[in-house]
Amino acid sequence: MAWLSLLPLAIDLVLALTLLWLAWRALTSPDLFRAVVLFIALGLVLGLVWVRLDAVDIALAEIALGAGVTGALLLAALAKLQPAESQTDEVAMMAPIALRLPIALLLIALLTGLGLVVWQLWVPAPGLSNLVDARLDEAGVAYPVTAVLLNFRGYDTLLELAVLLLALIGVWSLSTAPHLGDEEPEPALAALSRLLAPLMILVAAYLVWVGAYAPGGAFQAGSVLGAAGVLLRLSGWRLSLSATGWPLRLVLVLGVAVFAFIGLAVIGFGQPLLGYPQGWAKPAILTIELAATLSIGAILAALFIGGRP
Amino acid sequence: MPMLLSGADWATALVFVPLLAALACFLVPRAAGWLGLLAALLILLATLGLVQGLLADGPLRVAVGGWGAPLGIDLWADGLSAALLLMTSLVGLGVSVYAPGYFAAHPEQRRWFWPLWLLLWTALNGLYLSADLFNLYVMLEVLGLSAAALTALSGSATALNAAMRYLLVSLLGSAAYLLGVALLYHGYGTVDIALLGERIEAGAVATTALLVMSTGLLLKTALLPFHFWLPPAHGSAPAPVSALLSALVIKASFYLLLRLWLDLFSGLGGLLSALLPELLGLLGAAAVLWGSVQALRQRRLKLLIAYSTVAQIGYLFLAFPLAGAQVNALAWRAVLYLALAHGLAKAAMFLSAGSLLQFAGHDRIADLDRAVQRLPLTLTAFVLGGISIMGLPPSGGFVGKWLLLESAFTQGRWGLAIVVLLGGVLAAGYVFKVVGYAFTPTEIAQEGEAVPLTMQWSALLLAFGAILLGFSAPWLWPLLEVGAPFMQPVAEIGMAALKEIGAIPAAVVTGSGMLEAEILAGSEVGTGRETWIGAAP
Repeated sequence: MAWLSLLPLAIDLVLALTLLWLAWRALTSPDLFRAVVLFIALGLVLGLVWVRLDAVDIALAEIALGAGVTGALLLAALAKLQPAESQTDEVAMMAPIALRLPIALLLIALLTGLGLVVWQLWVPAPGLSNLVDARLDEAGVAYPVTAVLLNFRGYDTLLELAVLLLALIGVWSLSTAPHLGDEEPEPALAALSRLLAPLMILVAAYLVWVGAYAPGGAFQAGSVLGAAGVLLRLSGWRLSLSATGWPLRLVLVLGVAVFAFIGLAVIGFGQPLLGYPQGWAKPAILTIELAATLSIGAILAALFIGGRP
Repeated sequence: MPMLLSGADWATALVFVPLLAALACFLVPRAAGWLGLLAALLILLATLGLVQGLLADGPLRVAVGGWGAPLGIDLWADGLSAALLLMTSLVGLGVSVYAPGYFAAHPEQRRWFWPLWLLLWTALNGLYLSADLFNLYVMLEVLGLSAAALTALSGSATALNAAMRYLLVSLLGSAAYLLGVALLYHGYGTVDIALLGERIEAGAVATTALLVMSTGLLLKTALLPFHFWLPPAHGSAPAPVSALLSALVIKASFYLLLRLWLDLFSGLGGLLSALLPELLGLLGAAAVLWGSVQALRQRRLKLLIAYSTVAQIGYLFLAFPLAGAQVNALAWRAVLYLALAHGLAKAAMFLSAGSLLQFAGHDRIADLDRAVQRLPLTLTAFVLGGISIMGLPPSGGFVGKWLLLESAFTQGRWGLAIVVLLGGVLAAGYVFKVVGYAFTPTEIAQEGEAVPLTMQWSALLLAFGAILLGFSAPWLWPLLEVGAPFMQPVAEIGMAALKEIGAIPAAVVTGSGMLEAEILAGSEVGTGRETWIGAAP
């Protein structure tokens, strides 16, 4: 049974080669639609790689955000590009060989250098995971990744939420939303979305709750919620006109606002900025995560639709 | 009187006031103008509070969430961060006063300007206050995204193209920076700058991290040959945005580069840390000359000012070969003066250009048509800003260039000194080119739109600020020493040079010796910081 011990290595090799192959195909494909589909496949395989590296959280995020949401956004962008697309002359797009050669050499030198350094770091310096484990019982949640994201380094996460909101404000500043899903949806899609949307909302709620002690959390839950929103929109459901004003904007800012409010309010109780008082960490984190999930879902769906209402 | 608010509170306010104001502006667009102005005033107040605290108690370290590095994120403020925060809040207030008048004709642009600009401000303040490499990456992301969105605000095809290019460059720069952070974390197990400074060793990991992080930040700072994205972006954005991009956004990535260089990499030694400053100095010299010549050749006012920024960025890098060997920390102070003066002066110039654009409906330099008589305040602001850019006394730009020259002369670096002087002459050329056309009537007299006084005065006051900076040494100098960001107390030569140009009253230096005493106090605080870090796990 000696060959069984070689199995993991073989799987890793196959995954790595598939990854490289997909990346190369996606980059060289002249057909943009094909390239996007290959990119989504790349995201899925990358998710498997993260699973092999025992990083289930990153795998979830990679599949939900890297492959799912990004793929949907790329396809939506492609749909807008299509009418304007003209026949591009491939020869004209190629840079002259005199420019490509030095760039290629530079990249090879860079990659070699990086490879060398990574080789030297084969055994990395002891990171912070011991420290995280040692102080996990003060963090309010039993799962280290959630503890880092919402407590130890909550300041970063607060600003990451602001980045998402900022991306949406940037998109809204540029254009109004196209009339999407005005036409009668296909009956199959409508039936499917009636079935799937409640299920997806349930899954999102589960992911938030489970984040306290297992892989999950606001970003993954928010992306599922966003997908539910996209599905509903595609099947013809729309926000009523009165809800697209400040009520929608309130949902969009809720995550950052609640996080910032709690982070500042604790100062009034003699705590440092973003330092939850003893015993209050768990409810505070859960409140922030719920608000963040709602906002992330709404922002992702709004990004997919593209343009202000 | 006991202080009601501590330094930590002021630092918190500097990040959270603009953040919450941005959310409020997004929620209630109708009140955005007043909210933005109120936020700008509060931020200036918080900055002054922080500066007061730094002068009284020395450098500030705040453990966010109470965890402390390396587990949590720390904020850190010393003289270097305080000086840049001060410049940011002055320019920010000026632009916030200017913007309502400029955007009056474009309500849709005004609606998005406020949340984007306040998020940009959040990122700037957060960046100057952060002591954590990964947190700095997050700040860079907020900064790059909001800057690109602001560039695209006018919605014209040129602006969209420029913004897209800017976004891609900015993302590439961030990715390179992040790669360096990942390498450092894997190599040394922390992302806190102070702890890393203790643990880092010369070797392949540090060298590669230094190279990729510097390249990423140079892309964002637009040092020649990475300047290609700057003129279209700064030239096609709305004038208040151009002012923000040129005066503030560029400085943020430069500050980060300087911080990394001072705290992490300069002590490493080895061939690379000897060669890199020389290379940066060479690129800086090329940028000064090439940018100035390009500025002279421009026909549109905003592009001229944008190319002038390319040249002025070059000056900031002339200090690396002068100070890289740590012989003479005077060059760092020179560079800080230049950065502050450029921030105030360039903001004034871009705001003036915006007023002229609003007045005439175009910014062709040849058709300025007696603008001097018709918009005297605006032209005065432009000229005063230009004086600081040229480096004429008594402006802040003059002090910076003088210190740079002093530093170059004492080290016998004649080449660099010639570049400094030549850049000043070329700058005089392009400033006077604009002034000349502003005095000349065109063949067909042109009608002008009225320009609100808030727009004219905000530009003028910023320009006055750039001039007054030349007299600010007596209180700015001690502030710069808080936390000893430049590693060593002021060299004797620095005091002599300042006395020579009259930036410090001679009595202060020679008479009571008060300034020296303050500086010594600053450096003692610096030693305190080191013991503090040593005590950390």
